[in-house]
Amino acid sequence: MKTNIFFIIGLIALTDLCDTISQLILKSSINSIDWHVNTVQKALRLIWQLLKLPRVWLGFLISGISFLIWLFVLTKADLNLAFSLDSMRYVMIALASVLLLKEKVSIVRWLGITCVVFGIAMVAMG
Amino acid sequence: MTPKILSLLNFPMLHRRHITLKILIFLILIDLAETFAQFCFKKSVCAASFLEIHNFSEWVKFILVVLPSPFLWLGLFLVLAIFTSWSAVLSRIDLSVAVPVCSFSYITVPLVSAIFLGEHISHLRWFGITFILIGVFLVSLSAKCPQKTS
Repeated sequence: MKTNIFFIIGLIALTDLCDTISQLILKSSINSIDWHVNTVQKALRLIWQLLKLPRVWLGFLISGISFLIWLFVLTKADLNLAFSLDSMRYVMIALASVLLLKEKVSIVRWLGITCVVFGIAMVAMG
Repeated sequence: MTPKILSLLNFPMLHRRHITLKILIFLILIDLAETFAQFCFKKSVCAASFLEIHNFSEWVKFILVVLPSPFLWLGLFLVLAIFTSWSAVLSRIDLSVAVPVCSFSYITVPLVSAIFLGEHISHLRWFGITFILIGVFLVSLSAKCPQKTS
């Protein structure tokens, strides 16, 4: 039962992309509400405000799709490979944060993200 | 001297975008809760492991067996709590900080399986855990408020 490796890599990239999009939608919605949450009441009110936005529901749908693709990957691929390649989501999220959310990602942060990605790959391969 | 170095490292100057120890601990708690939620779902499904699912009526039977399990409801409650906490954290810090810091489950899962299940942690895995810790440290450092350090 040997599936094409590029097919698997493509699927993992797709599930990470879906995940990145749903996180982006959530973060941009929270940015648009622009609250500084520091109490439980405020957190619950934030959730209430978020659930009123249609694009947040789109985000839920996309993360559901991402989950389904991930389940499919797990039935086809070797677990070590799947988990180590899954760490590419960190790079995607960092790139998306810079390009779309205009976050400032410094050299130190890029270095940290690189360490996390390598670390996860090692843990998964070990 | 210190402010110059900090500006060289391009620290975010926005006052409300910095990470605090409280938020860091909060993120670790979210990670632990996520691990525990996965454990709960696995536990609830284990109760129905004697079933073999081939058709729709067996699906219904499966759901009827799983639905009364307290683990399932605990897991679902945790998922809601995690979503609320995650949104609260995202209202305070950058996405490119919150996501890498939340990679702690890659450390906790091997450690928990080593301590409670007696699994062996290889050298490569220890290296990986160290790398993740360094990475999380660097990412948190990059989001630290310069006003607080000086």
